[in-house]
Amino acid sequence: MNQPKGQQQNRPMAGNGGRGSGGPMGARMNVQKPKHLWKTIRRLLQYIGGSRNILFSLLLVMLFVTVLELAGPALQGAAIDTITVDTATGHISVDFPKLWTLLGCMAGIFLCSSLMTYFQGLLASKLSQNTVYTLRSDLFAKITRLPIGYIDNHKHGDIMSRMTNDVENVSNTIAQSVASLFSSVLTVIGAMVMMLRYSWVMTLIAFITIPLTMVVSTTLSKYMRKYFVAQQKLLGELNGQVEEMVTGYKTVMAYGREEEAVKRFEDASRRLRHVSIRARIWGGVMGPCMNIIGNLNYLLIATCGGLFIIRPVAWVNISLGNIQSILQYSKKFSRPINEIANQYAQILTAIAGAERIFEILDTPDEIDEGKEELAVEKLKGNIDFRHVAFSYVEGEPVLRDFHLSVKAGQKIAIVGATGSGKTTVVNLLTRFYEIDGGEILLDGVDIRSVPKADLRRSIGIVLQDTVLFSDSIRANIKYGRLEATDEEMRAAADTANADIFIERIPTAYETQLAESGSNLSQGQRQLLAIARAVLADPKILILDEATSSVDTRTEMQIQQAMVSLMENRTSLIIAHRLSTIRDADVIIVLKGGVICESGSHEELLSRGGEYATLYRNQFAGIAT
Amino acid sequence: MKLAKYLKPYWFLAILSPLLMVGEVMVDLMQPKLMSRIVDEGVLKGDVGLIVRTGLLMLGLVILGGAAGFLCAVTATKASQSFGHDLRCDAYSRVMGLSLEQTDDFTTGSLVTRLTNDISMVQDLVSMILRMFVRAPIFFVGGIIMAVSMNTSFALALVIALPIQLIVIFFLLSKASPLFGLVQKKLDRVNSVVQENVSGMRVVKAYVREDYENSRFDRANSELRDTNLRVLKLMSILNPILMLVMNFTVVAIILIGGYQADAQALHPGDIMAAVTYVTQILFSVMMVSMMFNSISRASASSKRIVEVLDSAPVIESGKEVPAATGDVCIEFSGVSFRYPGTAGLPVLSDISLQVHRGETVAVIGATGCGKTSLVNLVPRFYDATEGAVYVDGLNVKEWDLSALREKISFVMQKSELFSDTIANNIRWGKADADDDEIRAAAETAQAASFIEGFSEKYETFIAEKGASLSGGQKQRMSIARALVRRPEILILDDCTSALDLATEAKLQAALREQLKDTTVIMIAQRIASVRGADRIAVIEKDGRILHCAPHDELMQISATYRDIYQSQMKEGGAGHESA
Repeated sequence: MNQPKGQQQNRPMAGNGGRGSGGPMGARMNVQKPKHLWKTIRRLLQYIGGSRNILFSLLLVMLFVTVLELAGPALQGAAIDTITVDTATGHISVDFPKLWTLLGCMAGIFLCSSLMTYFQGLLASKLSQNTVYTLRSDLFAKITRLPIGYIDNHKHGDIMSRMTNDVENVSNTIAQSVASLFSSVLTVIGAMVMMLRYSWVMTLIAFITIPLTMVVSTTLSKYMRKYFVAQQKLLGELNGQVEEMVTGYKTVMAYGREEEAVKRFEDASRRLRHVSIRARIWGGVMGPCMNIIGNLNYLLIATCGGLFIIRPVAWVNISLGNIQSILQYSKKFSRPINEIANQYAQILTAIAGAERIFEILDTPDEIDEGKEELAVEKLKGNIDFRHVAFSYVEGEPVLRDFHLSVKAGQKIAIVGATGSGKTTVVNLLTRFYEIDGGEILLDGVDIRSVPKADLRRSIGIVLQDTVLFSDSIRANIKYGRLEATDEEMRAAADTANADIFIERIPTAYETQLAESGSNLSQGQRQLLAIARAVLADPKILILDEATSSVDTRTEMQIQQAMVSLMENRTSLIIAHRLSTIRDADVIIVLKGGVICESGSHEELLSRGGEYATLYRNQFAGIAT
Repeated sequence: MKLAKYLKPYWFLAILSPLLMVGEVMVDLMQPKLMSRIVDEGVLKGDVGLIVRTGLLMLGLVILGGAAGFLCAVTATKASQSFGHDLRCDAYSRVMGLSLEQTDDFTTGSLVTRLTNDISMVQDLVSMILRMFVRAPIFFVGGIIMAVSMNTSFALALVIALPIQLIVIFFLLSKASPLFGLVQKKLDRVNSVVQENVSGMRVVKAYVREDYENSRFDRANSELRDTNLRVLKLMSILNPILMLVMNFTVVAIILIGGYQADAQALHPGDIMAAVTYVTQILFSVMMVSMMFNSISRASASSKRIVEVLDSAPVIESGKEVPAATGDVCIEFSGVSFRYPGTAGLPVLSDISLQVHRGETVAVIGATGCGKTSLVNLVPRFYDATEGAVYVDGLNVKEWDLSALREKISFVMQKSELFSDTIANNIRWGKADADDDEIRAAAETAQAASFIEGFSEKYETFIAEKGASLSGGQKQRMSIARALVRRPEILILDDCTSALDLATEAKLQAALREQLKDTTVIMIAQRIASVRGADRIAVIEKDGRILHCAPHDELMQISATYRDIYQSQMKEGGAGHESA
């Protein structure tokens, strides 16, 4: 009962790692107070309000529990008062019928209160779990609706950390705080009322220590918070170091930097220890301090109570049992005050976490105002870029007055130096990014006027960085078209030249891909991504450096296999490798955001311009 | 507990802390006794002096106890945090010594969790044990002694109540503990879905799979919620039952006390004290139950940490550091290789190849034929399954690992950059490289021009995993990093695939000029990249090398090579022959 609350309080904070400290949002964690305290609280309440029925039942049950718990000490005191001592003779007499009745009442009340406590526990866990579930779902759904630009410009670790650490933090606090705040307030009020019933003088005496409690706990939690914030930041740093070094472990190994990595880690860990010790010492002081204050209170009431009994004063009328009850009540109300003080730091952290969550939720969705329906099946695949202007960063245009016209069924290749804007063309066509000026037409329709889902459904895309999911090979290929049959999947794998290596693995299509994809070579991963796009059966196919790690013979086989497939389809190919682009109907050479020349391989070569130079360069200096 | 040895250096603190806790507990235990003395001897007998004396004694004790409690918290914290720090550093340096196949097995995410969350969990447990494991039993035993010493009949109530509590606790915990592990697993699942979506967002959007992903997430999310609820439902039975037993015991104590008092064997004040003691005893039982709760949660964590600590590196360093003598720099002798833990055909089979000092050997072959696997064997990222790899005439297994790797620069297919400045990223190759060396390396790697284009040049900060750079820029940076150490052996694993043709040609020329004495193994897809090599090894589909010869000779003898050549050169061939 004198258990210091301090160390329980430390745990949820210590257990939560994450890399929340980095990035632009990391700075926010350092701000000790959340920016919009009440606004955030109101929004959080709305989330809790989603389970309004549960909340109200919970509050109701808590009201019962509090009342029942308050009745306990009163009955206990009354029960002890049935045992009376004759001050003169010292003879003890007991009023047994009354004792039995009172004890019977107590038993009944305890039974009820236990039952109610059980319901309270059930409802509270339901409430917190439901809230977290909704919060997570909303956040995830929001993430899938965010523009790519947001994802590109924010640390993935930071987004992840909001999804896990911050949500977890909020949920823990909701489970503990909403319940305990309410019951604390009820208990304080109730205990006060009960104590007043016995004696207002004793109540005042019991109150003497309250200001002390508040001063001590707020001072302590101020220091605690400072160190806990620092601790979270360092923990994040540590997480970041581990993640980066483990992901880049091969490089660490190759350059023999293990020792340095360990040294850096030790350094961060030492700083973490330093801060954590201080955070916990401040937290650890809380327990004993409250204990001292609690005991002081106990002593005060006992001494004064005793004195009043020996030297009865006219306006203080009190029995031994009353003292016992008042002692119990004073404990009952000093505890919630401690608790509120104790949870102060945690509540602030959670609200800061909630702000980080709401910040994502408040980010505008990807623009998707298109209403015109796009008949994906009837699409021809004419693409027109007209006067397109675009920049990732304002003032640094990537594309300027960009024109490009692709006829249905054409195979277009885009070449150009690194940073010339090749990938940008893809980003704009798929509307991963929005153009700043001009328009992009698909079969004569502005792509901004059709729903994004329709637009993207008509485009199959294989990206520079192969993205595969940690699932079976089958599931990864079928991602292109979920309802595809196994035959169709196998045919797609065959087209992408992937079936040969897949069949060579004993578990074939059921092979689970590792997180890092380490069980496949880079080239094999690219083949799977191609198979996925082939299965999607799009009207327009975009290959952005899709075969850079595939050997040229395999690439040729893929190209041959795709010839029949690509009839009546438009394809856009970005590559450095000549063999990849040579067969294209039109080759476009990008330079500084504009097309500097275009034409077929032969035309461009005979023109002797930029392309011819690029082309010759491939062999320059090799023929020694 | 295997991890206990990490507490050893702090044994003094670890022992001191519980001792101090004993002090605090003693005070807490004495308090009700003193309290009842105030009531029975002071109040009832009207002895105000006694009340004040006892009161002051109590206050003194309380302060003493508080001080002991504070010092206990300090020592316990110091011990547990130092324990955590040592454990964390040890585990991390263990990870930094693991072989690739092992880190692959653990997966990055899991290693991160183990080194941070899991260790925090165990560390908190240690702190709690230091403070609570003593407190609870002392409260327990002390409370029993005090209560029973007042009147033996109180023992009866305890004899009934305690077993009930213990049974309830053990029953519930045995049911709940498997669920704790399950919760952890479900949480992992939620995290991995989020992670995949964040990093693979382009693919999700491109295939319009937002709804699919949402339902996938919903499954993971609701499974987590349901499992969590199962645990919470189970655990929410615990407290009400314990409270009920406790409260009923209090009722019983008062009843027994009433009869004893009626028999003139007991004072009312004693009953009050007894009620307090009994509550303390039963609370200590609840404390223990809480402790078991955290132990069963932390034991999963400690198991995961021990797994890391116990995994000895598969690849152990040899001792020898031979001088670079002889004509042959690298030799593969009858090497076969299959990735550890995989079945089926080997990736490489019976490869024999000698690379001479200062020679450039290119490796070419189909996707998945084992090119990367071959070069991985040189710096011992993996060990050959059969046969041996020799560097400077010594089997790499006998080499001192760090000396071996110091000789080699390895540029990977997938560039790995670290969130640091450009200069520091290049400095990875050579820790003490000065600015001129860095600039020279960047120059050779054709990276200087784009680096100079940044406003902060070499001090430009690179975002996580080089996200702010294009593929080609990343590759050139990692080449610069490899060059700055002027290695004896340079391995280039298809690391120019994202470079445009002009840049690659310039890079090739610069490399040839700068690396006259360096032995180079170069993997590439383009004939153009490999043509200039002294010899080209062609790996066949079945993982064997049939031919290793200069370009012109290969054109004559290797059908595979001719095939590759044809696939790239069939048109406009004449143009480049003359170039």
